Amino acid sequence: MELKKINKSFGDDESRVHVLKDIDLAVGKGQFCVLLGPSGSGKSTLLNIIGGIDTADSGEIIVNGDSLTEMKDKALTNYRRQHLGYVFQMYNLIPNLTVRENIEVGAYLSDDPLDTDELLETLGLSEHQRKLPNQLSGGQQQRTSIGRAIVKNPDILLCDEPTGALDYNTSKEILTLIESINQKYGNTVVMVTHNNAIQEMADLVVRLRDGSVRDQIINANKKKAIELEW
Amino acid sequence: MVVKRRSPLRKRYIRDLKSDFGKYAVIFLLLMLSISFTSGYIVAGDSMVIAYNESFSKYNVEHGHFVSETKMSGSKERAVSELGINVYELFYTEKEAKDHGVLRIFADREELNKVCLMTGEMPRGRHEIAIDRMYADNNELKPGDSLEVDGDSYEITGLIALPDYSALYQDNDDMMFDASLFGVAIVTRRAFESLDNLKYCYAWKYQKFDGSESEKDVSERLMKELNKIVSLEEFTPRYLNHAITFTGDDLGGDRAMMEIFLYIITVIIAFVYAITTKDTIEKESAVIGTLRATGYTRSELMRHYMLMPVLITLLSAAVGNVIGYTLFKDICADLYYGSYSLTTYRTIWSAEAFLRTTLVPISLMAIVTWLVLRTNLSRTPLEFMRRNLSRKRRKGAMPLSPALPFMGRFRTRIIMQNIPNYLMLFAGILFASMLLMFGLLMPSVMNHQAETITSSMISKYQYMLSVPAEATDEDNLTSAMAEFMKYSKAVETETPGAEKFSAYSLKTVVDGDKISDEVTIYGIQDNSAYINEDIKDGEVWISSLYQDKYQLEIGDEIKLKEAYEDDEYSFKVSGIYNYEGAICMFMTDKTLNKTFDLPDSYFAGYFSNEEIKDIDEKYIGTIVDYDSLTKVSRQLMISMGGFMKLIDVFAVALSLILIYLLSKIIIEKNAHSISMVKILGYRTGEIGGLYILSTSIMVIISTGISLYLSKIVIEYLWRSVVAKRIGGWIAIVFDPAIYVKMVALILAAFAVVAMFELRKIKKNPMTDALKNVE
Repeated sequence: MELKKINKSFGDDESRVHVLKDIDLAVGKGQFCVLLGPSGSGKSTLLNIIGGIDTADSGEIIVNGDSLTEMKDKALTNYRRQHLGYVFQMYNLIPNLTVRENIEVGAYLSDDPLDTDELLETLGLSEHQRKLPNQLSGGQQQRTSIGRAIVKNPDILLCDEPTGALDYNTSKEILTLIESINQKYGNTVVMVTHNNAIQEMADLVVRLRDGSVRDQIINANKKKAIELEW
Repeated sequence: MVVKRRSPLRKRYIRDLKSDFGKYAVIFLLLMLSISFTSGYIVAGDSMVIAYNESFSKYNVEHGHFVSETKMSGSKERAVSELGINVYELFYTEKEAKDHGVLRIFADREELNKVCLMTGEMPRGRHEIAIDRMYADNNELKPGDSLEVDGDSYEITGLIALPDYSALYQDNDDMMFDASLFGVAIVTRRAFESLDNLKYCYAWKYQKFDGSESEKDVSERLMKELNKIVSLEEFTPRYLNHAITFTGDDLGGDRAMMEIFLYIITVIIAFVYAITTKDTIEKESAVIGTLRATGYTRSELMRHYMLMPVLITLLSAAVGNVIGYTLFKDICADLYYGSYSLTTYRTIWSAEAFLRTTLVPISLMAIVTWLVLRTNLSRTPLEFMRRNLSRKRRKGAMPLSPALPFMGRFRTRIIMQNIPNYLMLFAGILFASMLLMFGLLMPSVMNHQAETITSSMISKYQYMLSVPAEATDEDNLTSAMAEFMKYSKAVETETPGAEKFSAYSLKTVVDGDKISDEVTIYGIQDNSAYINEDIKDGEVWISSLYQDKYQLEIGDEIKLKEAYEDDEYSFKVSGIYNYEGAICMFMTDKTLNKTFDLPDSYFAGYFSNEEIKDIDEKYIGTIVDYDSLTKVSRQLMISMGGFMKLIDVFAVALSLILIYLLSKIIIEKNAHSISMVKILGYRTGEIGGLYILSTSIMVIISTGISLYLSKIVIEYLWRSVVAKRIGGWIAIVFDPAIYVKMVALILAAFAVVAMFELRKIKKNPMTDALKNVE
């Protein structure tokens, strides 16, 4: 995945805010990339552009050899359908579908989905699979939303502050889960966070400030999620 | 091999159905009832039309009939049958049935206009009688009852329908039939022979009628020929016989109206549904955003949200049609039987009716939902996730003066937030109030007509004289002269106060398929005791009823024409005379006789407040009195009264359901806020005061505007639609009591809903406000 000179602004004339400035970035297949930065640094916007749910004003994004910038709405939907898994801070589960069914919502989109039972086991949700979202804890709901994202075995897993609404222990559980998925299935993971500690588990850390890339660090000695402290 | 998987989202349908059962149930009920009523109505109507059309051959219906002054001798009968017709005796006599108006009694018929026995048996004994089914219904008579006819007691053995009296017109010139004061009956031949005062009615069938000549030409020629053989008192070819043709003309006439009614209901429900869908989309916007971000296409989501309304409509149509074909068909057939004395019918399944009551509502529902979904699902995934769904850029809250009480401001905000819902509520109330107004208006209009006719009648009786056919026989001038002399002497009266008038009859010139009205022109004597306006020679006054139907004013020009000729006359309106009894004109007798080339001494009838008894009945064509003037409204009330009540019930149910659905949406939309203010310590009554009172205010405003608009629409429809279908006119008057009733009914419907909603507010859990779960 390669991003070249990505620019993005919001607002009109005087109130115009340049949120992304000439962003260049390359993430290798199977890499765990963390986009780090304070609130308002443009990291979520960048993730949304990578995810094809927002568009850049200029620049180019190439994923698996295809240019996203050329794609129309329908092609972008196809791109998301075939290549992407999305995890958000808010779990956005369908309230009247069970845990299992919420995961099947993702499986439906893939011609070659992962085995749902196996995944439920991996997610630690087997015993909760018949529950509705409002019968689950926050961590369980987020695990379900991760299940929904990865059940279609996407090439790229995009996570926008996946632990933002969770406590310390649950956050570590979720990070461990994402880490194990990355290792088990070999998907590329791009995670947005403002939690500095999480950078330690990444292969690639991209620090953003005021819409620009401050630095990019290849993490030679990355830690396991379980070892993280904050 | 690619296996097509089924979307897991489908599992939501049953759960949605369960969790929102109330909404789905009322939508289903409303659609199902509308569809069953429409399909029942169409099926019954279509089956009736088929039965009516088939009755002509099944019961061997006449091509026409004439009444001879005397019984035809054998030689005359032979001469008549040489005119290319087969003649059948259809003698009758008219007798007073005690407390039940007049019965026209026939002997049993075996060949022509055969009897359709509806219930019971045909009479076999001397004192047995079978009477018309509708007349029996209107007079609450049934087989086994006894009926006193002309002093003789008869036992009713059966109820019948005569194919030549499907509309019970006593006289073909009557503006309307009256099936409570006039009926037909059959007795045995032996019993009939003992009856007196027979009318020598002969019905005919053409031996050959191939359609190469018009029925009019053939019958006119026949009349001329017949006149040479018999002394005709009446000559009525079938195509001019209202007792036979009126039913056929009227049957199925309301079909288009019923269909439009169904489609309007469907569109209203579709919009209500669309609002609930829009609401669901708002509620689920984050989920939708996530699904879209995950790769669900817009069309997949469109299909998902469209399935339920289409499925509900399909189910309503299926159940509705079954109920329509079974239960409602009979109810609607009863409505027809309430208006006409129809023969028995077979239910005939109509594929077209099925399609119209299934495909059209489903398509309407699908189109409306599709349009709404297309607009509302066109946002980007990000906009959905950020709940940024408003088309308009928010410019901040509408400024409200802090001087306003807080609760008032709060309520105003609620109203502003729900404008689209309230617009829908308004559309629903408008439609319901139109139905309700129509349902309530009829009886009040009829009552008003009865009152104004009483107060504006020219005289208690108007006698229209009838010149016998022999007196105008151009082929036999000598005897015609003699007959006319005889007639002129016979029509003088000694009755005190009787005043002669001259008269002439013309027709209104109309475009298209409107009914042309017969306009009687009265020629009034100088210093008339009955017309209390000073009409001068050369002046033309019109009746207030004429003015109202055609919206004429003084100075306007009126064009009228001869009934069967092309001669046209034009008149300038000089004044409007307060008379609600008929569409007519007034001028002096001198002006009238001069205008129509009539002799100076010509007169056509009498105004009189006393009954005239010294003129032979055969010289009296029609008597206009209170009963004859109110016949139309009486019959309309009998035939449509039940239908009007049904409309009232439906309209109230519609208001109830719409108010329920829309206020439910508003409460649900604000469930979060309601929980929140509850946490803050607001009491149920106070919360009701915010959320329910806002809806109450909008219901009251909508009702007010609807009343005003309904009046305009109904008045327009009355003038354009009703005017087309009835000869004569019934002035439309909106009794203030109607408005009171309508407001009371709509508000009562609202009160019921408010009670339910208040309970819902009470039950709304406070934890809702604290939940983070979508």
